[in-house]
Amino acid sequence: MKCRCLRWTLAMFAMFALCLALHPGAAEAKDNQVSFLDLSDFTGPVAGLALPNSIGIEDYLKDINAAGGVEGVKINYIGVDTRYDVARALSAFKSYARDPSVVAMEIVSTPLGKMLEALMRGQKFVCMVPGDGEFQAHIGNFFPWGPTYQDAFAATVDWIMDDWKKKGKTGSPSVAVLSWDNAYGREMLRGGKEYAEKKGLKVLPSELFPTGTLKYDVYLTRLEKAGVNYVYVGGVDPTQTNIMRDASRLGLTKNIQFISDYWGPSSLGISLHPEALEGMVIVSYFLRGPEAQNHPLLKRLWTTYRKEPPEKMNEAYGMGVGVGIALVAAIKDAAKRVGPDKVTREEVYKSNENITGLSREGIVGPCAYSPTSRRGSEVVKFYKVTGGKILPVTDWIKTPDAVSLHKW
Amino acid sequence: MKGYSRAFWGAVCCVAILIAAQWAGTALADETKLEAVPDKTALSPDLIKNPVQFKAAGFGPQEIVMVEMVLPPNVKIKTIPEGEKVGLAFGKTDDKGNLETKMAPTATLNWFFQVGWTPEGQPNLKEAKPLPPGKYEIHATGMTSGKTAKGALEIVAPPPKKE
Repeated sequence: MKCRCLRWTLAMFAMFALCLALHPGAAEAKDNQVSFLDLSDFTGPVAGLALPNSIGIEDYLKDINAAGGVEGVKINYIGVDTRYDVARALSAFKSYARDPSVVAMEIVSTPLGKMLEALMRGQKFVCMVPGDGEFQAHIGNFFPWGPTYQDAFAATVDWIMDDWKKKGKTGSPSVAVLSWDNAYGREMLRGGKEYAEKKGLKVLPSELFPTGTLKYDVYLTRLEKAGVNYVYVGGVDPTQTNIMRDASRLGLTKNIQFISDYWGPSSLGISLHPEALEGMVIVSYFLRGPEAQNHPLLKRLWTTYRKEPPEKMNEAYGMGVGVGIALVAAIKDAAKRVGPDKVTREEVYKSNENITGLSREGIVGPCAYSPTSRRGSEVVKFYKVTGGKILPVTDWIKTPDAVSLHKW
Repeated sequence: MKGYSRAFWGAVCCVAILIAAQWAGTALADETKLEAVPDKTALSPDLIKNPVQFKAAGFGPQEIVMVEMVLPPNVKIKTIPEGEKVGLAFGKTDDKGNLETKMAPTATLNWFFQVGWTPEGQPNLKEAKPLPPGKYEIHATGMTSGKTAKGALEIVAPPPKKE
């Protein structure tokens, strides 16, 4: 009798184990909870924007969970401070991405993205990334937050041509990139250069400098000697702010128009060198300045979870909320399709291609993710630092496709 | 037992020898190595210009390999949760599975010196809390093959300042 009982128990146990093995999705979504892994920089040289971006995601997810989750699924936020170190980020990826409850992730480093691409090839795992156009050229796991770097550069080329005409100048203006000496610093010209040349703009050799550079005089002086009219500045705030500090001191801001890419002056830069930043133009795929700080959703989330006045909000907070909105929409779509207990990273990946046109309440343009697009959106706005504030000078503008102009 | 012939036992021995040889060959081919260059270092600003390097072997060709440091229970590093290893460097192996890589300045600053960072994005040496001297275990892991290797890196006390 005892022997038969034992056999039955063992058989039942084996059946249960078999069921678990055959339905991994059920095991992955414990209590209908999934996780989002954020390999970010809460400290270090890019923390000025990376930290508010991450807390924007975290607060948005807190808000969703406080309201019961999305389609019955709660989203656990896992934030890892990688301190702008790719080795640490790679090590953290190795440790955390093994957890099957992690259904999507975000990274803030272009060089890391290029490294992870090789490791994650063939998987279906959403990884949200800054703006590397290579991920649009080779469709896979990596989903830029907004338009690609080269598309934003191309939109800036159009803005420059208009500005040149408005100023009544003849001939072709020249532009040069001044940015970090890494994969990110070179990315915007991979397609962006082709677009500029197509439009008749002279692209001068880039000036690239190491991250953490203290003084920019040597690069700025070389650009001035080359006869540049427009300088497209990369880096992460306060890099652009410090460049403007030096350009202003050298008297270069009178004759050269400085334009920052996405990661330039925010409330952080304004708090450091407001006078030097005066007149700088910023191309942005997310709301900036008082437009962001007074946005109803951002204001509510910020004051609820950070308990600080809206003026203290860095605009990258809205960028993070934009990432959160897309993530929640993808999880919602997946939960509706397969059920809240079967939300796996593969299902979130499928759904992330299915949220085309998703509105993000005007914080970021409509979502452009689809089976053939990895662009987070296809619109940018231009802002200008005026009277110590970052104010819009255009409405949302559709970005040209510069990615397809590059030979990948 | 008596029923089995000498020929049978001979054949069993041959098969066993062949299996053992095969296993030994595989084990040798799979042997991985990791060494820090130099394997002893004092923490000094010179490490930014001449960082610690790592040499590893026995991994897959063109494989990304991660080099991490194991933290003893009494050593805490800013932002690294207890029980986690800290990534020091990474790189891609050559066609023979050999790796040569070095620590990036950010890794040296963050994990060896444990600096703070100013709002202007500059390392703040006033907040530095250098890693205590000691012999630290280091691991290399092939991110595709999963192969691992172990080595050591000794942090020694800086030489006394000359008066």
